[in-house]
Amino acid sequence: MIFIAIVECNLLGETVLMINTIEILDYLKSKGFTLSTGVPCSYFKNVINSLEKDDTLQYIPATREDEAIGIASGYFFGGKQSFLLMQNSGLATIGDALTSLAQLYKVPLLIFVSYRGLEPDADFPEHLIMGDVTENVLKAYHLPYWILEEENWQNILELSINKMNEISLPVCLLVKQGVLSL
Amino acid sequence: MKGADVISELKRILGDDDLVVSSNGNVSRQAYHLLSGSQLYLRGSMGLPVSIGLGLALAQPEKTIVVLTGDGNFLMGLSSMSTVAYINPSNLKIIIIDNQLYATTGGQETSSSQINYKTMIEGMGILNIRSFDLRDMDQDIGNLLLLESIEEEGIYVLHLQVEEDTIELDNIPWHPEQITENFKNRHKGELK
Ligand SMILES: Cc1ncc(C[n+]2csc(CCOP(=O)(O)OP(=O)(O)O)c2C)c(N)n1
Ligand SMILES: [Mg+2]
Repeated sequence: MIFIAIVECNLLGETVLMINTIEILDYLKSKGFTLSTGVPCSYFKNVINSLEKDDTLQYIPATREDEAIGIASGYFFGGKQSFLLMQNSGLATIGDALTSLAQLYKVPLLIFVSYRGLEPDADFPEHLIMGDVTENVLKAYHLPYWILEEENWQNILELSINKMNEISLPVCLLVKQGVLSL
Repeated sequence: MKGADVISELKRILGDDDLVVSSNGNVSRQAYHLLSGSQLYLRGSMGLPVSIGLGLALAQPEKTIVVLTGDGNFLMGLSSMSTVAYINPSNLKIIIIDNQLYATTGGQETSSSQINYKTMIEGMGILNIRSFDLRDMDQDIGNLLLLESIEEEGIYVLHLQVEEDTIELDNIPWHPEQITENFKNRHKGELK
């Protein structure tokens, strides 16, 4: 299979590289993921739109990110693998779910976390402090993480999924603006 | 009836294949000591037993999933009930053991006492909710009510007001990693 990042125009007419959501979902399916859950971020608009139309990969809209960790962990205890989508603000919500459930019980989880609070969010002060501490929070949680990039995205995903399976623990992918949605 | 009486009775009622998730603290200890089989005894993640039950129900649609949750745990994760109602998995059974206390941490009051669980859960869209006050109930009648309720088809919530437990049980000797392994071994080989 050949993977390409599609070229699209943003609102300003600039061309941008973006990962095709159907391709990334197909890739995740090929790696054995059969369910997804989380709380939306606008960065995941396209992915969640595609998931809602997908008959083979159900998306469970959680009310909170810690609940999403619960759902995904329960799914693993039932012998199956899911992935999660959440904003980095949700990293603050999942602390106990992560440490006293997923990590303690050795639950492998692939968590896509939108990286809010960087330059494009200059006008969104609500994201700035969490944006500043995001990578420190991930390190403090002992969560292995990668930054998802348009080029080589399948290599980055493969690395993270391999690591997740090898250690049987949650791992994160940080997703910046424009990588999965404009 | 006390919480431990309910769980002891469940041992006789539940099937060998039923998968139980128990909330942290006393409820998990009781599930470990009083139920048979290797169940999913939560030691932390207060507030998450219902969401874990939902994930399990989706992964194992042929099995019956029973969530045993204290009132403090249930209320902490209350919004996860609306997700459950929205997804509506027919194999998920939620039993709320309501002693109106955070008993595990020393018996502090929860906000449970004035809640009308039937109205609340119905309002979320789950019509199959039964609520019983077992506190002054004769054990035989209580057992009968349990048996009847557990046999119901489809998703349901069973809210049980119980007396405070008096017997303290030992800690669960298994490390969580062992809980995971033993639990997953129950359906090893069944999955492709
Ligand atoms: C996030 C979090 N806060 C507080 C605690 C401490 N804690 C452990 S068990 C428990 C009480 C649980 O109450 P309930 O679910 O009603 O069970 P009961 O103790 O009454 O059997 C509390 C507050 C915890 N484990 N996790
Ligand atoms: Mg209680």
